[in-house]
Amino acid sequence: MSNRIVETRTVRTFGPPRRDRAQMTNIALLALLLVAAIALPYLGASGFMVSLASTILIAATLASSVNFLAGNGGMVSLGHAGIAAASAYGAGWASRQGLDPGMQVLVALGMTLLASCLYGLLSMRTSGIYFLMVTLAVGMLIYGLAFRLSSVTGGENGISGIARFEWLDSYWIYYYFVLGVFVLATAALWIVSNSPFGASLRGIRDSESRMRSLGYSVRSYKLGAFMISGSVAGLAGLLSVWHTHFVSPSSAGVDRSVHLIVMVILGGIGTLLGPLIGAAVVVMVENLLSSYVDRWPTLLGLIFILVILFARAGIAGSAGKLFRRLRARSKAASSPEGDAPGGAAAPPGDRHAVHQGKDPQ
Amino acid sequence: MPEPVFLAQQVLNGLSFGALLFLLASGLTLVFGLMRIVNMAHGAFYMLGGYIGVVIATLTGNLLVAVIAAIVAVGVTAFLVEVVLLRFVRGQEMPEVLLTIGVSFVIADLCLAFFGGDPQNLPNSVRIPGALAIGDLVYPWYRIFVIGLAVAIGVALALVQSRTRVGAIVRAGVDDREIISAMGVNIRWVFTGMFVVGAALAAIGGTIGAGMQSILPGVQNEVLLYALVVIIIGGLGSVAGAAVGSVLIGLIDAFAKAWIPELAYFTIFLPMALVLVFRPTGLFGKAA
Repeated sequence: MSNRIVETRTVRTFGPPRRDRAQMTNIALLALLLVAAIALPYLGASGFMVSLASTILIAATLASSVNFLAGNGGMVSLGHAGIAAASAYGAGWASRQGLDPGMQVLVALGMTLLASCLYGLLSMRTSGIYFLMVTLAVGMLIYGLAFRLSSVTGGENGISGIARFEWLDSYWIYYYFVLGVFVLATAALWIVSNSPFGASLRGIRDSESRMRSLGYSVRSYKLGAFMISGSVAGLAGLLSVWHTHFVSPSSAGVDRSVHLIVMVILGGIGTLLGPLIGAAVVVMVENLLSSYVDRWPTLLGLIFILVILFARAGIAGSAGKLFRRLRARSKAASSPEGDAPGGAAAPPGDRHAVHQGKDPQ
Repeated sequence: MPEPVFLAQQVLNGLSFGALLFLLASGLTLVFGLMRIVNMAHGAFYMLGGYIGVVIATLTGNLLVAVIAAIVAVGVTAFLVEVVLLRFVRGQEMPEVLLTIGVSFVIADLCLAFFGGDPQNLPNSVRIPGALAIGDLVYPWYRIFVIGLAVAIGVALALVQSRTRVGAIVRAGVDDREIISAMGVNIRWVFTGMFVVGAALAAIGGTIGAGMQSILPGVQNEVLLYALVVIIIGGLGSVAGAAVGSVLIGLIDAFAKAWIPELAYFTIFLPMALVLVFRPTGLFGKAA
C-alpha cells in the first residue's frame, strides 16, 4: 500500500529553457544529416549503397513508430513488425490481383488500420510487461497467418514481383521518396509527441492511476497512440514492399520485431535521432558485417545486452548526455556562478531512459 | 473410423501436448511469480535443453542420462545469466525482460552454429516402445509417459510449494520480498535458485518434447509463444493456472488440428483474447 505513495513520481514540467538549446542542436544535426542524405547519390555512392540507405531509412521509419510508443507511452511493443507486414501483405495481395499501385496503397492502408486496431484493442487494457506479451502474441498471430494462409499469402514463398508506381522506378528516385516519407513521418511523430496528446501519454506512462483519477480516459489514449504508431509502421511496411518487390513471413517474425526493439534501445529510446542511428547500426551489422562474421545474430544480441547493462540511454541519449556534461563543465569553468547546476539536474536524456517504474495499478 | 476412438485419440493428443506445455509454462510462471520477470529466454532454454538431450541420448542411448545432462547444461547457463546479467538490473522490469530477449538471441544463434539447422528428434531407441491398445484405440506409450511425467512434476511442485520450508520461503517472497529478507533469508539466492529451477523445467521439456516434436531453429519462439498464451490464460505466477491453461490449450490445439487444420494456429489465440478482455489477470491470477 505504502508503495503507491512512495512510487508516484513528480510530474515533469515540459519545456525548461535548456531543452530549447538541446532541440536547436538536434535540429541543426538533423539538417546536417538531411543534407548528407540528399547528397548521397551525388557523392558517387553505388546503387548498392543507395539501396542500403533506403533499407536503413525504411527500418528507421518503422523503428520510430516503436520509439513513439515506447518513449512517450512506456509501451514497448514486441509485435510491430506484424503491423508493417500486414500492410506489406495488403499491398502484395493487391499486386497479385493485378491492381495498380494506387489500389495497393488503399489495401495496405486498410490492412494497417485493421492490424493496428487488433493490436490496440487487445493491448489497451494492459501495461508494461503484459503489453509486451500481448503485442508479441498478436505479432506471432500475424506471422502464423502469413505462413499458413498460403492461398492468400503464398505461404513460405511469400509474394514477389510487387510493382511500385512507374515514376518511382529508378532506385535513386525511390531513395528520395523514402527519405521524404521518413522525414515527414519523423516530423509528424515529433509534433504529436510535443502536443498535449503527447504530454498526456507521458503522464500515463509515469502514473496511470493518477491520470485516470484526473479524468483521463487512459484506454482511449493508449488506443490512439497505438493507432498513430501503427499508421507509421504500416507506411514503413508499404515502403519496404516497394523497395524489395517482395514480402515473406519472416518480415512479420518475432526476430524482426526484436530487431526493432534493439534499434530503438541502441539508438536511444525517446530521442529524435535514436531510431535512425539504431536502424543504421543494425542494418549495417545485418548487411555488411554478415559477410565477415557468420554469427552476427550473436553479435547483435551481445551488443544489445551491453547497451541495456551499460548505456541504457542508447547512443543518441548517451551522446546527448555527454554533450551536456561537457558544456556544463566548460560553462562552470568560465563562470563559476553559472545558472546551470552542472550535472546535478536530471539530464533530459534520462526522461526517456527505458521506463523502469512499476506503475501502481 | 468410429467416432469415440477418434475423440479419445484427440483427447490424448491434447493431453500429451498439454503436458509438454505444462513443463514449459510452469517454469515460466514460477519465475514470474517470484521475480516478476517474464523470461523471454525460456524458449531458448527449451531449445538448448532439447538439442543437448538429443545429442546425449544418441550417444548414450539412455533417456534419463540425457535429461540430466540437459538439466545440468541449461541450469548452468541459467545460473550464469542470472548472476552475471540479471542481478545488475534487479527490480527494473523492462530492462530485465529486454536482457532475456538478448540472451535468447545469443543462445538460439549459438545453437544454430553448433547443432545446425536440421530438425532433430530423440532417437527411437530411447523412447518407450510400443503402444497402448484398447479396442480400436492405439496410442503410443511414450506420449502417455509424457502425461504421467507432467502430472508427477506438477504434483511435486505443488507439494514443495505448500509443504516445505523452501516452498514457504518462495511463497513469502512472492508476497513480500522485504519481510522475507529481513527475516534472514538471502532472497538473491532464492531468486537465482528459482531462475535455475525454471530453466531446468524448460530443459526437461526440451528433451522430453524432442520425442514428440522436432527441435529446430525457430522452435524457441514457437514454444515461448505457446507458454505465454498458457500463462496469460492461467494467470501469471500461478502453477495451478499453468496446469489448467496447458490442458485447455493442448485440447483446443489438438481438436483444431484435426478439424480445421488451416486455422489451428489461431484457435489458441481465441481463448487468450477472451481471457484478456473479460479477466485481464488470467483465470487464476491475482489482481496486479
